[in-house]
Amino acid sequence: MLEIKNLHARISEGREILKGVDLTVKPGEIHAIMGPNGSGKSTLAGVLSGKPGYEVTEGQVLFQGRDLLAMAADERARDGVFLAFQYPVEIPGVNNMYFLRAALNAVRKRRGESEMDAGQFLKAVRAKLKLLELGEDLLQRGVNVGFSGGEKKRNEIFQMAMLEPKLAILDETDSGLDIDALQMVSRGINALRAPERAIVMITHYQRLLEHVVPDRVHVLSGGRIVKSGGKELALELEQTGYGAYGDAA
Amino acid sequence: MSALAEIQPYVEAFKARPRAAEPAWLKQRRDGAMQRFAEIGWPTRKQEAWRFTDLQPLQRAPFPPASAASLITAADLAPWIYAEAAHRIVLVDGTFVPELSTVGALPEGVWLGSTAQTLRDRPELLNGALRETDTLGAQPFVALNAALFTDGFVLALEPNAVLDRAVEIVHFGRAAGRSAHLRNLILLDIGSRATVIETFAGEGTYWTNAVGVIAVGAGAALRHVKLQDESGAAIHLGHQRVELGRDARYENFTLSLGGRLARTDIHLKFDGEGAACGLFGATLLRGEQEGTIATVVDHATPRCVTREYYKSVATDRAHGVFLGTIGVRPHAQKTDANQLSKNLLLGARAAIDAKPELEILADDVKCSHGATVGDLDETALFYIESRGIPPVDARRMLVEAFAAEVIERIEDDTAMRAHLGRHVARWLAGGVA
Repeated sequence: MLEIKNLHARISEGREILKGVDLTVKPGEIHAIMGPNGSGKSTLAGVLSGKPGYEVTEGQVLFQGRDLLAMAADERARDGVFLAFQYPVEIPGVNNMYFLRAALNAVRKRRGESEMDAGQFLKAVRAKLKLLELGEDLLQRGVNVGFSGGEKKRNEIFQMAMLEPKLAILDETDSGLDIDALQMVSRGINALRAPERAIVMITHYQRLLEHVVPDRVHVLSGGRIVKSGGKELALELEQTGYGAYGDAA
Repeated sequence: MSALAEIQPYVEAFKARPRAAEPAWLKQRRDGAMQRFAEIGWPTRKQEAWRFTDLQPLQRAPFPPASAASLITAADLAPWIYAEAAHRIVLVDGTFVPELSTVGALPEGVWLGSTAQTLRDRPELLNGALRETDTLGAQPFVALNAALFTDGFVLALEPNAVLDRAVEIVHFGRAAGRSAHLRNLILLDIGSRATVIETFAGEGTYWTNAVGVIAVGAGAALRHVKLQDESGAAIHLGHQRVELGRDARYENFTLSLGGRLARTDIHLKFDGEGAACGLFGATLLRGEQEGTIATVVDHATPRCVTREYYKSVATDRAHGVFLGTIGVRPHAQKTDANQLSKNLLLGARAAIDAKPELEILADDVKCSHGATVGDLDETALFYIESRGIPPVDARRMLVEAFAAEVIERIEDDTAMRAHLGRHVARWLAGGVA
């Protein structure tokens, strides 16, 4: 599904942040990438999703065998890459429902499916809203406008549930969530676990991993993956901290 | 062309026009106005109010007044028709066309007709149509309009008359190389209430020179919407002179989309205490369009409120201008005025000039103003694109949202907001560079 080979990247005109990341994620797997602040976690999410402002200086990323880095952000999304933002963006004046429907139809068109009419769309939306305990009034508001921090994160997972990506990258989705919101978000992610789908969770803390159990855990430090293991590695990190991996927070 | 040569064709046109049936007072005022126009000539960029406006498209060749209405059909007007309107006046090339108009049943105390018809049947209503400023002011296009106008519309409400549904005025231009000089009046007497939408549209190269005289009496309320959607080759100069009585309410929304050269001037004066105005609008510009919004608000009386909010978007090589002056006279205490101009500059060769201005001579007032010029929010663009929406659609969404935010200021009128929203969407379908 996803093959990252010797990936080097820097902030445009800035210092190098990723210094040779190697990672392979297979369909059906959930991987957790953990690491201290400044280790390159958000840069990795940004590079994979096509966020402007980064420059890849070396290496390769293949998504379903295709050169992911050659694709524009919107093209990646239509092909099934989804990024759940650490800081979801407020877009006043763009109605949430209108936005989501445009996104869904763009993705469906790429998959060779017909556009959804208003009725079908609303039916699909209602089921997913319930999963994340979001109110229907959210649809009539501007995208992320007036949402609490928890609502914004739940809205990200709600969008993911609607768009049904092949590869989901969750950037610090657990940050700033209270325990109830964490459970809702976790439920949303677990519901999307599927043999044909891969999920990469980027997180600083272990607590999300208690609710969404990963197949693999990686430690990102100093721009490289310095250790990989099973779910027990997360617990180990919880006890020892990132100190042992240099570049402490 | 020299300055004199430029105005000569208009002087000739004035001399040549048939003027048999007009009352003496009107002839006299027209003579005075023409004389004034000949004295001051075209504005130049040395004048502050015209400093940013490039009048070249108007000065390249003369636009003699159109002599009659071009033949057009209801189908030609269809894209602009406001379905919610109950009364409609259509003017083509500056002349009333009864076959396309539906004045409809009017409640008692309401007059709606063409200016020419009003001059015949209710001449007293037109006394206020020509002002001192036509013959003494420094507004050459207003003076020229006073000299040359033949038609327009007049809406007059007697005290406490109420129009529940909108009055729609469609000005359509199609006479190639010609000008239309419209003199329009909206007179709301004490306690009356109305909504008027004026639409300017057309085909080809022509010049619309419209002057509106608007008086809102004590406790009366007028919502006045202007949809300027002239043809891309046309010139539009629209000047509105507004006077508000005690506790009057006036709301003006200008959506400006068309014209090679387009300018809307609003001169508003508070004539009584406790009145309020809302001046709002959005201007969308592409290609080589030149678009100006110029407002002058005169707080001549205490306790009046001004809310002013204009937005503009300039793409390609277009040029947008906002000139806003709010003046507060020495005795106009408790004035509450704010003015905001927000602009999106979307082309490397596009330009925007914004010049907000406050002149405050009273000491117990609350006044503020501001202007911003920016680009589309990069993080918002990426967010939208990251959901699979192509960049071109993402840009369109953000520009639409930018315009929608000011259209929202038209409160309690979903149908009007939707109507303007559709025209914004239609403009956006042409792409945002």
